[in-house]
Amino acid sequence: MSEKINIRLDDKTVEGIRGETILELAKRNNIEIPTLCNDPRIEPYTSCFICVVEVEGFRGLQPSCSTKISEGMTIHTNNERIKKARKTALDLLLSNHYADCVGPCKQACPAGVDVQGYISLIDKGMYNEAVALIKETNPLPAICGRVCVRPCEADCRRNLLDEETGVGIDYMKRFAADYDLESESKFKPQIKDSTGKKVAVIGAGPGGLSAAFFLQKEGHQVDIYEAAPKAGGWLRYGIPEYRLPNDLLQKEVDNITEMGVNIFFNKKLGDNLEFADIKADYDAGILAIGSQIGTLIGCEGDDAENVHPGIYFLKEMEVSGKHYDFKGKRVAVIGGGNTAMDCCRTAKRCGAEEVFVIYRRTEKEMPANPIEIHESKLEGVEYMFLTNPRKVNKDEEGKVKSISCLKMKLGEPDASGRRRPIPIDGSDFDLQIDFILAAIGQKTNVNFLKNLNKNYSGEELKTNRWGDIDANSETLQTGIKSIFAAGDGVTGPATLIEAIAQAKIASNSCNQFLLGQEIVPPKKEFLSKKDNFKKQVPEDYLGHFEKQMRDEMPTLDPSNRSNFEEVELGYNSEDVAKHEAQRCLECGCNEYFTCDLKKYSTEYNAEQNKFSGEFNEYQVDFRHPYIEIDNNKCVLCSRCIRICHEVVGANALGLVNRGYETYVAPSFGNSLSDTPCESCGLCISTCPTGAITENVIFKPGPVKLNQAETICNYCSIGCDISLNYKKDFVMKVTGNEGLINNDGNLCKYPKFGYHYLNDVSRITKPLLKVNGRFEEISFKKAYEIIAEKIKNVEPDDNVFFTGARLSNEEMYLVQKLARNGAKTNNVTSFHYLNRGNGYIGNSIENVPFEQIKDANKIYLIGAEINKDNAVAGFMINNARQKNNIPIELISTDKNSSMKHKVDEAIFIKSYYYFIKAVNYYLIANHFENALFIKDNCSDFEEYKKKVLKENFVELVKLSGVKYMDNIIEFAKEFNNQMNAIIVFSEKEISSNASFELFNLAMITGKLGKTSSGLISLKEKNNSQGLFDMGICPTLGVGSQAILDKPLQRKMKKLWHTRNLPKTVNVSQYESLEKGILKNIFIFGEDPMGCALNKVQVAGWLSIVDYVVVQDYFLTETAQMADLVLPASFPIETGGNYTNTQRVIQKFEKHFDKKVKKSSYKQMIDILKKLGSREESKSIEGVMSEAMSLLPINNIGKKFKFNYTSNNNNNRIFNHGCDYINKRFDEEFEQAF
Amino acid sequence: MENTKVIVGLGTCGIAAGANKVFNQLKLVKETENLDFKLKKTSCIGMCYREPLVEVIDKSGSYFYGNVDEKKAKEIIEEHIKKAKPIKDYVVYTDLFDTPEDDFVQGQVKITLRDCGYIDPESIEEYEERKGYRAMKKIAGQRISRLDVIQTILKSGLRGRGGGGFPTGLKWKFANDNKSDEKFIICNADEGDPGAFMDRSVLEGDPHAVIEGMIIGAYAIEATSGVIYCRAEYPLAIKRLNIAIRQAREKGYLGKNILGLNGFNLDLYIKEGAGAFVCGEETALIASIEGERGMPRKRPPFPAASGLWKKPTNINNVETFANIPWIILNGAEEYAKYGTEKSKGTKVFALAGKIKRSGLVEVPMGMSIRDVIFKLGGGIKDGKKFKAVQMGGPSGGCIPEHLADTIVDYDSVNATGAIMGSGGMVVMDETTCMIDIAKFFLDFTQKESCGKCTFCRIGTKRMLEILTRITEGKGEEDDIEKLEELSYQIKDNSLCGLGQTAPNPVLTTIRYFRDEYEAHIFDKKCPAKVCKALLTYEVDPEKCTGCTVCAKNCPSNAIDGARKETHFIRQEDCINCGMCYTKCKFDAINIS
Repeated sequence: MSEKINIRLDDKTVEGIRGETILELAKRNNIEIPTLCNDPRIEPYTSCFICVVEVEGFRGLQPSCSTKISEGMTIHTNNERIKKARKTALDLLLSNHYADCVGPCKQACPAGVDVQGYISLIDKGMYNEAVALIKETNPLPAICGRVCVRPCEADCRRNLLDEETGVGIDYMKRFAADYDLESESKFKPQIKDSTGKKVAVIGAGPGGLSAAFFLQKEGHQVDIYEAAPKAGGWLRYGIPEYRLPNDLLQKEVDNITEMGVNIFFNKKLGDNLEFADIKADYDAGILAIGSQIGTLIGCEGDDAENVHPGIYFLKEMEVSGKHYDFKGKRVAVIGGGNTAMDCCRTAKRCGAEEVFVIYRRTEKEMPANPIEIHESKLEGVEYMFLTNPRKVNKDEEGKVKSISCLKMKLGEPDASGRRRPIPIDGSDFDLQIDFILAAIGQKTNVNFLKNLNKNYSGEELKTNRWGDIDANSETLQTGIKSIFAAGDGVTGPATLIEAIAQAKIASNSCNQFLLGQEIVPPKKEFLSKKDNFKKQVPEDYLGHFEKQMRDEMPTLDPSNRSNFEEVELGYNSEDVAKHEAQRCLECGCNEYFTCDLKKYSTEYNAEQNKFSGEFNEYQVDFRHPYIEIDNNKCVLCSRCIRICHEVVGANALGLVNRGYETYVAPSFGNSLSDTPCESCGLCISTCPTGAITENVIFKPGPVKLNQAETICNYCSIGCDISLNYKKDFVMKVTGNEGLINNDGNLCKYPKFGYHYLNDVSRITKPLLKVNGRFEEISFKKAYEIIAEKIKNVEPDDNVFFTGARLSNEEMYLVQKLARNGAKTNNVTSFHYLNRGNGYIGNSIENVPFEQIKDANKIYLIGAEINKDNAVAGFMINNARQKNNIPIELISTDKNSSMKHKVDEAIFIKSYYYFIKAVNYYLIANHFENALFIKDNCSDFEEYKKKVLKENFVELVKLSGVKYMDNIIEFAKEFNNQMNAIIVFSEKEISSNASFELFNLAMITGKLGKTSSGLISLKEKNNSQGLFDMGICPTLGVGSQAILDKPLQRKMKKLWHTRNLPKTVNVSQYESLEKGILKNIFIFGEDPMGCALNKVQVAGWLSIVDYVVVQDYFLTETAQMADLVLPASFPIETGGNYTNTQRVIQKFEKHFDKKVKKSSYKQMIDILKKLGSREESKSIEGVMSEAMSLLPINNIGKKFKFNYTSNNNNNRIFNHGCDYINKRFDEEFEQAF
Repeated sequence: MENTKVIVGLGTCGIAAGANKVFNQLKLVKETENLDFKLKKTSCIGMCYREPLVEVIDKSGSYFYGNVDEKKAKEIIEEHIKKAKPIKDYVVYTDLFDTPEDDFVQGQVKITLRDCGYIDPESIEEYEERKGYRAMKKIAGQRISRLDVIQTILKSGLRGRGGGGFPTGLKWKFANDNKSDEKFIICNADEGDPGAFMDRSVLEGDPHAVIEGMIIGAYAIEATSGVIYCRAEYPLAIKRLNIAIRQAREKGYLGKNILGLNGFNLDLYIKEGAGAFVCGEETALIASIEGERGMPRKRPPFPAASGLWKKPTNINNVETFANIPWIILNGAEEYAKYGTEKSKGTKVFALAGKIKRSGLVEVPMGMSIRDVIFKLGGGIKDGKKFKAVQMGGPSGGCIPEHLADTIVDYDSVNATGAIMGSGGMVVMDETTCMIDIAKFFLDFTQKESCGKCTFCRIGTKRMLEILTRITEGKGEEDDIEKLEELSYQIKDNSLCGLGQTAPNPVLTTIRYFRDEYEAHIFDKKCPAKVCKALLTYEVDPEKCTGCTVCAKNCPSNAIDGARKETHFIRQEDCINCGMCYTKCKFDAINIS
């Protein structure tokens, strides 16, 4: 009984349990105390000091993870002193956290587009999802993919490698966006339920369109008022078509109007649009008016004819639909920005003889995109750098005649950081020119202000000193509370992506306004940055990545550009986009979404530079194939070290050095793969940051993942796991606090053995072998063939094999298929083939796993638990570490991998004879528990008689123990232990040895006792299901004898048949050996791939007439089949498994099936084809049909002593005869 | 002559000063001339500054000769031993006439060090002669109960001499209250404070006193075995401890049914520590004995409840144990006569730094620091001005001159911001830069941090960086505040004493010498003229003789000047190394 005590916790009286820590108490009372070094799975350690709290009467703050509560304690968990301490701890940790939370690309993007995330999705061909991710912050990816100025690429770290070519981020974005636009499953944003609020957006440029997108998504009705006849703003009227085709622009506009946004054209505020009307009809407004006024050169004579602001020149052509005719003319473009580029390249396309760009600095200082400069040169534009126009000279008619310029030189850097141009005296020269296009700036037109402001009293929309709209820089709210502003109208002429970024902020604020919330900018998330420590240089990256030059964008041939066709042609295949995606260096942290350090640093406003000083820099350790160690991110909480010691028992990790130089490393500084590491990945699961992560083979993003909860389908423990996936691609597996693994621990199989789920080489359609090659056929055809094959032979010429990985439902249907379809009892599994029937009772009366911790001693007899059933191994090791429970190993393998995790070990030659000798000794010396036997067991006397006839000395000799005393001591000690558990594995123990273990448990009176008795471990997730679902010639559902009358009656009634097979051929092994079978049906097993003796299995399969295999992949067995059926993954149907302790575990369907018909539907279809009366059933329906055949109860049935005269055959297949196990076992072996 | 005893001090301090040579010389003369005086060894008597020390005891009394070398040794034999004429000039202390070290000796009360320098530490008989093992025999003979032993210690007022000052009797009581089939008693001999050597001297000079103390402690708490955790850098102590343990076993002080006490079994083992400072912390010490990385853990549970191998464990330091036999033998009241109300008995201090008499002293609690330094220690070397004394090592702090009248007891010293600690007293004069001192101690703790707690691991590193920056003239305006803020946070949020006290040297120097910090930060000056980066070296034209020595020795060739002409230091090339200052024979280099 736990003792209750009273505690004051944050000014409330709560009930505490004596012995618990403050952290545990707080958790129970839903108070979250941050901690980095605590994990409930391991003992408290106390190193991070993030979890400190104040306890009245205690000096200093107390770490809550290791401070136990006591009666009357008064605890405060969150006052200013505590917050300060936590923040300082975080500041200190961050001062030595040389790592990036996100890549420089995302940091550089004004809109914060998750570049690394969408590259990861492009890598997997998830283009719609990539666009969805981009559109979280940028609603115009196809446009951006063409005309963005790409600060992301400028900051990309690939620039430090590969000859300064950053990753082709924009090219990939364009590819994904174009793909999405044409795709049937085009991304459509989810729109929230209508709020009934209305917003007017002024201007349909990028800012206005984006604001409309974000606000409409929030459930508001957005109407856009646009002065021009078409949408797009400068995207349409400024950017020429050869860069951004109008129809493409229109598609993205349409995407937004399809959301319900209305655009009213030719409505100009203060002109033909009264603000009073807006105010009357709308709850809020967003001004996205842009900068509409072009400026001239500002020198003498710039009023001459044929001198235009560049943007008017561009706009004029778009409005009129006619191109200027510059044939034979000389055109000067003044300026060095992107508008200048648009002007000069357009001028060329308008037929100009010569085009000069006049720029007062050098090419290096030009703000235009380098790619634009490059293309313009290809198109024949000439550059006059370090040149400044001084005067425009007119002819008599007032037309421009020439331009007088001055040569310049560069001086000291100015406020912008660029070197200031200084005129060179006397360097004047004249240039003959016919047209001048001034691309040197734009201004915002605010002539509507009066019209607007007169509608408000006490509030006023103002302009700032540059003449732009004045808005709060963080919220973009204007002087009028209901009006927000975004884009060039606020910032002055800027870039597309900046306008989008502003639209996001303004609409966020506007949304808050509409919902009546306080208007606050989004909370700034903490981001750790390597740049906070030092500037990144090529040496930091060289040698760590393979060189891969950029896949450049194909362009129109320069000789072919005297038109307005789009110059950049886009990546022409998915392969190119995916190939370019490989260049991403994944600078951002894989644990971005899950890192506790980041979470708390954001919460406590921690600062990385507060205590900056010397920092430790480490190389990331990729030597282990599944686990990577990045010490730069480590906070030295030692959770990895401790879980490896306390739970796994491998002790593969440790601390090296002392003080500030301390770091975590595999033992002896080796590669983790050269330590006793068991590759379970528990270190990954416990790491609070990204210091120990999965070494994945694909681009993990990171992206936000969905979780599909299911049951592991490797071994028979039955762990609850979550597949973390995006679309249908599983990126990670995590443990849940399940029924069996209630602390969420997992082993290597589920943790790293998930790649098969992503394998695109899966079989999806039936395959018929024709002339030695497989051809796809229809399911109908496949069923016809199967039915014909079955009908053409005697019922017992057929045999049905069933894999131990199948769900109970599938197993039930296979045995029904045999018994009611083919009318034969020939249904079995390769898994248990020819291994006797001693395993049938193994799972009866097992000690539940959770009682392991209460045992006095645990014996491992033939159980390499850390390899095959590791989670059970964790429970045992944890019991040893925590509760000092001694473990004894009895093994035939002198190099057993369990050797270093046990207290004692006996090495023997035969488990069977060892146990038998023990039984003999106990009975011969009258040590049997007579009372227990009398009450609970049958057939003891017979057993005793037979055993005592054997020769003890001979048994001892056969067991292979070194001394006879080993057996006697074991027998006595086991018998005398109050709570002793024997753990054994069917993989190592023969079925007759299982019988004898069962006998031993009965002799000593330990069977079925609390924390005492047997724990059997099976090889596959549903090995037990085979017995329970009647996958055995002699047994029906519920392990009932198949020829039992009551069962037969039930089956006949349930299956609407009078005709059930009357004979039982016990040994399918013999039938296979004799070659008397005609048709073999194999559901989910790979006997060829897993055989210890392949020749033997090949013989069986080749001698029969027809082999049908159902599987996920073309296994070695499937390749030998005549007909292959595709199998569905369990996660595609749902169902039940029965674990080794006979716990029935249900799992749900989460994924859409990749096969047209799931496995169990195929089985039902075949049954129908064979004349069985089947209704179309759900998976639950199948289960309830199976359940109805179960016996009423087993109460009062006694345990039976089974005498065995000698040892019998052990398994003839590896990997539980399952392809998935085999695949991972082999992958694992090859990885090291 | 046959009754004359010549005793050579062969502690580590003596050996370092050349005592082995003196001993060998004496032995050689004695053997070659076949003289029949008794030549014996002992350990340090505390007068380390006078080593090698040779004591001659003849009919008239005892004479301590100081700074003895081979030549003097010969003279002593010739004059004193052969002719019975003590060489008064060489005698540093005797009861018979006034000597220079009278103050040093007469101000002391020796309880802990009662045998040090008087007995051969490798002889159990000599220890027994000076009442050794009588305390244990008293317990056995009078059948004094365990509780009575604990009561005596409680009454004596003895507090832990390792620095914590926790009442020893109470500690024993807790360990006794926790019942278990197995208990441990541990002697913490991991003395690690820079400048402290009290424990080493006791272990080298009187190992049996510590062993007897442990036996009594084991008896009191029912410990079944004991461990002496001693740093491997103390080879002589370990050697003598091993000898002593062997002798104690042979004599039946260790083993089964000790001194006829049925069921009282005890054996002792030595665990050599690798010299990690943090292993002086009891939980880290226990982890180290268990073979784990020496890192502390959260207390409670205290070792008295769950210590070594999770069994009840009592840990005391060397000095504490050495006091025990004396208390049992002489009674709690006798012990409590010395000291103040809350700090009873005596305390051993290691005097070091800029003090005339550096060595070991044992004084009754309550003596003023000024008396310790000036009366016993003889004041400051070279006629310089006393500035401060650092007490408690890296965990302690600096007590400034104006607080020198503070008395030595736990609470008075704590009130200054320093701690009593294990007894290191580092004396500083006007040429000591207090920031440099703070930096020195912080550098020590920072390097000795085990790396577990965030604040200690990173916080002390950052503090050290700030201090370094200040001494390099790169101090920033808010550095003092930053240091204080970090200090309080580190003290508040560290698991063990190392982290909890590491900022003390910084805090006390800021408290008492803030102006010095400000001079470094704002004026870019080091008033003590220690921080090289803040100094400018200039040639005094008055004094310069043009000897060229400075120019020749300047590593950066920053000194110009022809022979016999005034030299000149080019400041732009000067690297502030101070070589010119060191080399100038005419005091012609001015530092400012």
